[in-house]
Amino acid sequence: MVNITIDKEKHDVEAGITVMQACEHVGIEIPRFCYHERLSIAGNCRMCLVDIERSPKPVASCAMPVAEGMVINTNTPDVHKMRKGVMEFLLINHPLDCPICDQGGECDLQDQAMGFGWDRSRYHENKRAVKDKDFGPLIKTTMTRCIHCTRCVRFATEIAGVPELGATGRGENTEIGTYIEKAISSELSGNMIDLCPVGALTNAPYAFHARSWELKKTESIDVMDALGSNIRVDARGPEVMRILPRLNDEVNEEWISDKTRFACDGLRRQRLDRPYVRKNGKLKEASWDSAFTTIAHFAQELKGDQIGAIAGDLADCESMTALKDLMTAMGTNNIDCRQDGAKLDSGIRASYLFNSTTPGIDRASAMLLIGANTRFDVPVLNARIRKRWTRGSCEIGYIGQQADLTYPVTHLGDGPAALKTLLNGRGPFAKVMRTAERPMIIIGSDAITRPDGAAVLALARQVAVKYEVVTSDWNGFNVLQRAASRVGGLDLGFVPGRGGLDVAGILSGAVDGSIKMVYLLGADEVDTTKFGNAFIIYQGHHGDAGAQRADVILPGAAYTEKNATYVNIDGRVQLTRLAVYPPGDAREDWTIIRALSEFTKHTLPYDNLRQLRARMVQLNSNFLNVDQAVPALWQDFGTEGHIKDTPFESKINNYYMTDPISRASETMAHCTEVFLRGEDRKTPANG
Amino acid sequence: MGFIEKNTRAILLIELAAGMALTLKYFFRRKVTVNYPYEKGPLSPRFRGEHALRRYPNGEERCIACKLCEAICPAQAIVIEAQPRDDGSRRTTRYDIDMTKCIYCGYCEEACPVDAIVEGPNFEFATETREELMYDKDKLLANGDQWETEIAERLRLNSPFR
Amino acid sequence: MVEIWDNYGLPMVWMILKIIAIVFPIMLSVAYLTLAERKVIGAMHLRKGPNVVGPFGLFQPLADGLKLFLKETIIPSGANRGVFILAPCVTFVLALIAWAVIPFDKGMVLSNINVGILYLFAISSLGVYGILMAGWASNSRYAFLGAMRSAAQMISYEVSMGLIIITVLLCVGSLNLSDIVMAQREMWFIVPLFPMGVIFFVSTLAETNRHPFDLPEAEAELVAGYNVEYSAMTFALFFLGEYANMILMSAMTSVLFLGGWLPPFNAIPFTWIPGPVWFALKIAFCLFIFIWVRATFPRYRYDQLMRLGWKIFLPLSLAAVAIVSGILVAFNLTPNHG
Repeated sequence: MVNITIDKEKHDVEAGITVMQACEHVGIEIPRFCYHERLSIAGNCRMCLVDIERSPKPVASCAMPVAEGMVINTNTPDVHKMRKGVMEFLLINHPLDCPICDQGGECDLQDQAMGFGWDRSRYHENKRAVKDKDFGPLIKTTMTRCIHCTRCVRFATEIAGVPELGATGRGENTEIGTYIEKAISSELSGNMIDLCPVGALTNAPYAFHARSWELKKTESIDVMDALGSNIRVDARGPEVMRILPRLNDEVNEEWISDKTRFACDGLRRQRLDRPYVRKNGKLKEASWDSAFTTIAHFAQELKGDQIGAIAGDLADCESMTALKDLMTAMGTNNIDCRQDGAKLDSGIRASYLFNSTTPGIDRASAMLLIGANTRFDVPVLNARIRKRWTRGSCEIGYIGQQADLTYPVTHLGDGPAALKTLLNGRGPFAKVMRTAERPMIIIGSDAITRPDGAAVLALARQVAVKYEVVTSDWNGFNVLQRAASRVGGLDLGFVPGRGGLDVAGILSGAVDGSIKMVYLLGADEVDTTKFGNAFIIYQGHHGDAGAQRADVILPGAAYTEKNATYVNIDGRVQLTRLAVYPPGDAREDWTIIRALSEFTKHTLPYDNLRQLRARMVQLNSNFLNVDQAVPALWQDFGTEGHIKDTPFESKINNYYMTDPISRASETMAHCTEVFLRGEDRKTPANG
Repeated sequence: MGFIEKNTRAILLIELAAGMALTLKYFFRRKVTVNYPYEKGPLSPRFRGEHALRRYPNGEERCIACKLCEAICPAQAIVIEAQPRDDGSRRTTRYDIDMTKCIYCGYCEEACPVDAIVEGPNFEFATETREELMYDKDKLLANGDQWETEIAERLRLNSPFR
Repeated sequence: MVEIWDNYGLPMVWMILKIIAIVFPIMLSVAYLTLAERKVIGAMHLRKGPNVVGPFGLFQPLADGLKLFLKETIIPSGANRGVFILAPCVTFVLALIAWAVIPFDKGMVLSNINVGILYLFAISSLGVYGILMAGWASNSRYAFLGAMRSAAQMISYEVSMGLIIITVLLCVGSLNLSDIVMAQREMWFIVPLFPMGVIFFVSTLAETNRHPFDLPEAEAELVAGYNVEYSAMTFALFFLGEYANMILMSAMTSVLFLGGWLPPFNAIPFTWIPGPVWFALKIAFCLFIFIWVRATFPRYRYDQLMRLGWKIFLPLSLAAVAIVSGILVAFNLTPNHG
């Protein structure tokens, strides 16, 4: 601790922090543009100048470490004059185009010019003009507005791990760019938009559509990947206009992936806004009553075990609870939430959680990724792994198909054989794992969705035991889920009960006619061509694969349109909030199941969300711990068996289109074209 | 005022008589009525009448969809929707003013950074139906084209004070 | 047959003709009183008043009348239909039948009854029923409140009006209106009874619900009081009734204090002008004051109105009765002595 004086008040602050951080600690705000707490210090905007006694010049507080006896002034006329001067310099070349700038209303430069600036300029020469760069379909650039804080450059290099951005030129000729015209190939590129303190980088699909003050902000949870990033949903009227990250160091720090951010336009397209019933081979619009009656009529003649239910990747816990209860009441155990066929045991929580939790990554001292392409599975988590790697002394081993994870990995092989080698203590990485204080294993869904997934899981567990990955204060065994609903579904036990069929069983049953009715709760990733003649009920929000095959469509709500519970990979129970109402006749999902239960004469015993959540707690007491990740008990799991030595194949061949929402999104389609097919069709927004 | 004086004044109805004398005096004064619609009173250049959206001399519409007028409108009479136009510029796809909501405060023209939305000199735009008072962008631009000469003159006259 | 015609038919026809001769000019005056009111108030506001319909706006009342006549009569669903329609009729008829006893010239009176002043007073008191009926039948809070106010106000001011009339009667010794006029041959009663004249006039303002005592229809609080629910012809009848009442009250003031049809001086140029013209001029003068007062004074608060009626006018007029009768007895001026 060092003693310093800030604005004539004595304070004790931690040694080694910067003057700006010290000021922040004691509650004094220093204006800044280039400084960002998650990026390295650049010190090039000069906005954070403060006066330090016995220093001949004003000091950039973001780059100055505190020292014993320092006397800092942040609120003297001198400091104000310095800030005014810096602001005047910054505004020399910054265009006064706030009215047409999308950043207007939420612009750091605008706010700070009002707060610390001067009301006029003495600069009468022409402002400079910079040619706009093409940063791809997601980021719109207006480089004349750039104040060269280099936050984007540092983000790309440090966090995203795609060193594609940089500054060229000197002085007035400085330009930020990609050196060669190319789209930024990162799944986190959208975060540059948030980082940019001015309107140089803006959200391209959202360009000119709304102003920050028009938007209704709702704090919610993302479901595009299993991390459950904390987001803010900005809606204007009935439309979700954009999605922004929310700060949560336990989950996503302050980043979100591009899919999370930009797929929201998919919420407006291809929506199911009214019930449909198939008549004579064609889907016809219907009323809720007639849809329910059709289902009830059909279900009446069925025995319980002729019915199956599959929960999709975006299903919320409430609707899964209701569906599970309804299915149980109808007398069937054929329910499954693992559309991808992951061999996970819902009984043992440690076998499907990211046990060390996301913040735990920061503490790991070696990592082994097994069939986990973290970059595409959970990009934000990948950035966290990268952050751990940049801090040093953390080797990362990788088993799976060759991939660029944005940080160097020791590639140990691409199939289970490499894992066996490691179990036998051979290979270069064995030593790393052995010596590491807190080794970490991340097993991805590519490894466990194979038919021999359970055996792979058991093998990974053996590796974990061998290298003492799990100790009394450290559980380094992690399963990386891909779907937002998965952990919740497993927590609720939405898996085949005694004698019940799993997804594969339901599908084959449908083909051979032993399964007559299948309830798809937003399940679009199953092979819908293989339902035989079964009667398909599809409940969901998008007209995707499942809806096309369905005999009855029940329109549900997307994640921005309901108050629902999701459990993220850490086992953290998080709640989404209703930001806009579901379109047309669509309803919150659990209410649909509740209403249907009345028609099938199995009325479910809950009438409101509170009663339903009480039922969820009954199923798994973990649902009491909202926003907490409770460690799971380390138990025996996995089934040893024969393992085929085929490579772990990545099932994601297009990161930008993995679920009904992103498949409906125009922006994501455009990204697919640009990043996967290499075509660059210019949007109007890109000029 | 003393008690006696006060009561004397009350009993003799002095105040009432004085008041009536005043009105009687005005009764014989010259009348100021303007014989509308045959005569019209002078309008200040700051008169706030019917709205209009202006264009630049080259025919390009001025409005850049910054939505400041929408934000400031105390009656929430303005609705704007914007999108990038084909040439990439920021333009409105919808600019509606509900003239039945409008309170003619003039904040919109005050807020406009490009003098696009103005309240012109026209105050004779009564309609027979309510619907006709829901102005859309076409109507506002047409107003701008119709009144441009006067609007420009008014802005010129008012410019020293802005 | 001829006998029946001579004894009953002819007088009946004659009577009807006389009634028409009275009612028609009154209706016309009511119409033009509205115009006069707008013109006079306009002038006092430095405006011109209505001047578009016809020369100087002279056809404005006809246009207004036509408009009211053509509009739809709306009867609220909650209203008591019968009473609701009856109320304006009552008001209108009462305002007209009072004219039966008003003398326009010596012997020029429809019914020269010897208790004319009592009849007049009784009829003007009945006027409150029309308003009460309207307020009650409308089934509206505003209308009901307005009617209650109106009733309270009219009754309050009738008390002092009655006492003032007694002072006049003491000086005349007859209840016949022609006699009252003739008693003013020497001197109009406004001269000796000036304070009573003023009190009487102010009371007539309250009696006719005129400014500044128009609380029954106070726009600010009661929207329009008892005639809130009335429209078109029913409203027009109220309107006509009210204005006819104003004219009636002006006539009463003229008869009681301004010497009725008598010229101001019993001298040559004045006596050339016939009595009815003098009477009309006096009524017009009173009406001008009605309007003038409206243009000048703001509305009273209700408690102020009641205070004025009961705590000032009532004691003053009581005192006036005592003083006048005292003086008459003391100086032996009682009329029937003479």
